[in-house]
Amino acid sequence: MRQSLSLYLYLIRLQLRTRLQYRASLIIGWVAQAFGYASVYGAIWIVASRFEKLGGWVWPEIALMLGFHVLGYALGALFTLVQLRRMEELVRLGTYDTLLVRPVSPWAYLVFSGFNIEYGGHIALGIGMMVWALPQLGMDWSLLTVLQLVASLISAALLTGSILTMIAAMALVLTRSRYLFGIYFDFWELSRYPITIFAMPLQFVLLSVVPLGYMAYVPIAALLGKPVPVIGEAAPFTAILAGPFMVGVAILVWQSCQRRYQGAGG
Amino acid sequence: MLLALATASFRIESSFRAQFWFKLLSGVLNVIARVSIWQSVFLHGAGSTDISLPQMITYAILGATTFSTWDATQILREIGADIRSGNVVSHLMRPYSYPVSLYARQLGARAHEMLMIGLPVLVVMGSVYGFQLPASPGHAALFILSLLLSIFLLFTVSIAASMIGFWVMDMLALEWSLRGTLALFSGGLVPLWFYPDAVANTVLYLPFAWISFYPLAIYLGELDLLSSLLHLLYGLSWAVVSAVLVALMWRAACRRMIVQGG
Repeated sequence: MRQSLSLYLYLIRLQLRTRLQYRASLIIGWVAQAFGYASVYGAIWIVASRFEKLGGWVWPEIALMLGFHVLGYALGALFTLVQLRRMEELVRLGTYDTLLVRPVSPWAYLVFSGFNIEYGGHIALGIGMMVWALPQLGMDWSLLTVLQLVASLISAALLTGSILTMIAAMALVLTRSRYLFGIYFDFWELSRYPITIFAMPLQFVLLSVVPLGYMAYVPIAALLGKPVPVIGEAAPFTAILAGPFMVGVAILVWQSCQRRYQGAGG
Repeated sequence: MLLALATASFRIESSFRAQFWFKLLSGVLNVIARVSIWQSVFLHGAGSTDISLPQMITYAILGATTFSTWDATQILREIGADIRSGNVVSHLMRPYSYPVSLYARQLGARAHEMLMIGLPVLVVMGSVYGFQLPASPGHAALFILSLLLSIFLLFTVSIAASMIGFWVMDMLALEWSLRGTLALFSGGLVPLWFYPDAVANTVLYLPFAWISFYPLAIYLGELDLLSSLLHLLYGLSWAVVSAVLVALMWRAACRRMIVQGG
């Protein structure tokens, strides 16, 4: 176990050193991606400020939710997205087979050797928006609420990582899974808004089958003391437990796909 | 030959069936997101506007199915891969202009997306949420012209952005910058008439507004026929300017290219 951990840390260090060779390019990438996100948030700001409220939420509340959303996503995706999006290619070209004979879990190898620091822009934007929004909301802070915020942020990151892992695992069985990432991002985009703007069946979907409602809406609604449909009083707990729960599901899915994997070539 | 390129890219797009169904689902979700926002703010929000909810629903459905710009930036990734691998050189040997061939390829993919995905989603979601017809036959005709102009401008802008790749080599940053610019300035997500005046006064004159905002405003009859026509002519001059820009950039890029080996 300790040996594996030090190997993972070494893989991350290796990746960091490689990426830091092209610093200017890295920073330009951060700025451009943050601009891409900020533009969409700008469009949401225009709607929220023009009509005062969106789904019963005012702009500083929405800003806090958007900041939390992009931060939680970035913390999960830097371990998973770019690495695992290549899964179908790894399967098709037979590269995945070479990972199976290494003395380390193929998932862990992929995740840590591809540790992606391109999310600097996301993280700065997310923290910036939260820091801007929090003082305007006049919340009563206590040790418990701080812990709740941190724990639900970790849960959002775990949720991102585990859903992306499950989608990637599908490539082991279906060979093609890239379009599933597209669907993930469509639902992910829905999860940027207070889900009360959607019709009831879609709210239910976002809180159950496609649990992206727990990415930002449930945690922030729980912190702000806003009523949450379907789960009600349980919101603060589900916000913290959704991520760890999905990690468990993802482990089961990954293992079962791995068992069914037969290779794509001859 | 350019028609053949466009047909080929249309066929490539239609050969992935599972992808087709997921793209349909994706189109539906996109419409739901946009329509839900307008329903929510019109029914529960404060602040008055001259636009009605049925008009905004039509704007949202047309905007999501016909004028979505997010995927158009994919061309940057393709050209970026060509530049990095050096494949772009092989286009120099072919009997056509590279930028024009890019138009043809994009046109095929875009036509596929509009006809096979946009249209069914529009019909289904339009019958769910309600969909307005063009304000008048005259507006409908001008809308078709402005749609063609919109497609041309979207391609030109993305090809121009990808030409920058010959100098900066960083396609990811270019792709995201273009995405952001289009999301904010094309009016595809939020119509420019909701923008704060100071911002709108600038954005209304930038070429990006002709990519989504003006065609939709013409469709809904928010501009009268004469001013629609004048705006169309203004947009046309942007098309000429940007096409000249692409031609100049391509010439400069050709001069910059160094072919090694043989």
